[in-house]
Amino acid sequence: MNLWNILLDTLTQGSIYFLIAVGLTMVYGILKILHIAHAAVYTVGAGVGLAVFRLTGNFWISLVAAMGVSGLVGVLIYRGVYFYMLDQPRIVPLITSVGLFLLMQDLLQKPFLMGPYQHAFPAQDVFPSVRLPWGDVPSAQVMILVLTAATLMGLYLLFTRTRLGLAWQAASMDRDMAGAVGINLNRAVALNFLLGSALAGAAGVLVGVFYNSVYATMGDVPSYKAFVVIVLGGMGSVSGTVVASFLLALAETVLLSFVGYVLPRDAIAFLVLILVLMFRPQGLLGRS
Amino acid sequence: MKAWRWLVVLVALSLGVVLASGCGQTRPSSYKIGIFSPTTGFAAADGTSALHGAELAVKYINEQGGINGVPLELVHYDDAAKPDQAVNVAHKLVGQDKVVAAVSGSYSGATRAAASVFQEAGIPMISGYAVHPEITKTGNMIWRTGSLAVVQGRVGGALAVDKLGAKRIAILTIDNDFGTSLADAFKEYVLAKGAEIVFEEKYPLGEKEFRAILNRIKEANPDVLYASAYYNEAANIVRQAKEVGLTATIIGQEGYDSPKFLELAGDAAEGVIITTDLNRDSDREITQWYIRTYEETYGIAADMVGASTFDAVMVLAYAMRKGGTQPDQIVKALAELRDFEDAVTGPFYRFTEGREVMRPVTAQIVKNGRFRFYAEFDDPALITPPW
Repeated sequence: MNLWNILLDTLTQGSIYFLIAVGLTMVYGILKILHIAHAAVYTVGAGVGLAVFRLTGNFWISLVAAMGVSGLVGVLIYRGVYFYMLDQPRIVPLITSVGLFLLMQDLLQKPFLMGPYQHAFPAQDVFPSVRLPWGDVPSAQVMILVLTAATLMGLYLLFTRTRLGLAWQAASMDRDMAGAVGINLNRAVALNFLLGSALAGAAGVLVGVFYNSVYATMGDVPSYKAFVVIVLGGMGSVSGTVVASFLLALAETVLLSFVGYVLPRDAIAFLVLILVLMFRPQGLLGRS
Repeated sequence: MKAWRWLVVLVALSLGVVLASGCGQTRPSSYKIGIFSPTTGFAAADGTSALHGAELAVKYINEQGGINGVPLELVHYDDAAKPDQAVNVAHKLVGQDKVVAAVSGSYSGATRAAASVFQEAGIPMISGYAVHPEITKTGNMIWRTGSLAVVQGRVGGALAVDKLGAKRIAILTIDNDFGTSLADAFKEYVLAKGAEIVFEEKYPLGEKEFRAILNRIKEANPDVLYASAYYNEAANIVRQAKEVGLTATIIGQEGYDSPKFLELAGDAAEGVIITTDLNRDSDREITQWYIRTYEETYGIAADMVGASTFDAVMVLAYAMRKGGTQPDQIVKALAELRDFEDAVTGPFYRFTEGREVMRPVTAQIVKNGRFRFYAEFDDPALITPPW
């Protein structure tokens, strides 16, 4: 068993899961809404990224464009849909979100958008591949690891060192109190959606490049897997999401490397979900 | 007096009914051929290609005068490659559109399901490219012009052991009708020839991440990897295999036969060999005509799926012209077919008793981003379907 490969695959998959799930947990933290449509924002990011890449040939421009458009779409979903449901029982925005997700996916499958086919995203060589004494890291994996590390660093600084980050933390502890002490809730929530959705869009681009495949239903698996990640980590906890993403990736990679497909990879996530809900429903790092 | 009037009306009506039904005996304006294929969902590229192949065939046939002067009309429904949807669609074709016969442009699971509907309704159906053995075993109305899994698996085995001389073989199988039927036949052949299976595993449809499994395959050090897949999984397998440094030759099957595979796999596809039905370098006129015309009409390279569905329609038209348009006439003409040359993936020597077609199987290799001729397998021992 090659431990290096297992480590590398775990880190890569974990990074992907983190990038997708972090936006979901941020939204839950501040609004207590399960934003299933987040997975459609992810797909929009991938589609926009590819479209811009075809026009410009430049990976970075495509990434920024994807993040921008996804961020905007996320804010629109907040301001246009969830905003009107903030005081409803939580099942209302949940079901609305599911409907929104299905609607967006169906729209994306139209021939004038992404169509029913998969599309190649040939931007794998943006980063150099890295030779280490104990193994290689191919360029696509370098891309994911570097960008995720940068994101983690950025998020840490944002949450702990800026007023916005503190506002988010306050709002997720007690939304009404946060408003009462003068935090501009509307702005804080909108920015939260903006960032979380932008990260989802970035995840869409990275996954699209990594597997060289962009398609309208690519949000299907992330729609529930991201959910598993945030439940495992503790809903609303960004650090929990980090831990959970890598743990899930580890579980999948180890099982498949040592045992094989006793379960499809995606079913492992469901198994984890059931176990977590049974034994520690607040998640690993969540508060009870 | 009133009674007389009613009697006259009654007689007139009855005469009218009799005459009208008698008028139904004149020639129909068209013969409807049903086709079901996935134009949405994961298999959309193949389903669309199949539909295009069928459309080209209908156009070709109608330009030649149709069926003794009556044009063919294609009725298509999308089945998203889902068995339950295929069954619905089959019922529609039979009950609503009342098709004369049907062609499957879909995958094994969906075709298997739909076949029982056609068999029960007594409507002939030809499977264009779905490989699963059980399809034709459904009944005497169900025929197949595409490659049978058993034959294709055997040919894959011959390719691996006889042509490439492989001794250590790894098998990666997609976990469904398509994959398991291919792998079973392949395994039987190579084991009989004394090769060693150093790795064998199944994976779920839709899997994108193969690195973990490919690393294990690499450790087993095979000469050849026989990996069954559709073009999505195939592209990922092939790219990731290159990335993890697996040097074994990868042998694929008709699931790889799509321009989408070449697009998604990129450079990693170079050197991959597949068993399939369409020989791009064939010197047969109809093959080259099809490849040229398909690309001109649809702007994308022709593939096996479209070609096989084209052939299914051509064979059906032949049977209708020769025998008649009633189900038993069609079926009889199919059974009597010999050395049919008007097939892109032909020639079709004949149908067996089990309604499988006997035809050569080609192996194609990816060279410079295109499928090129690698080998042809014509040996009756290999290509004769076992039933």
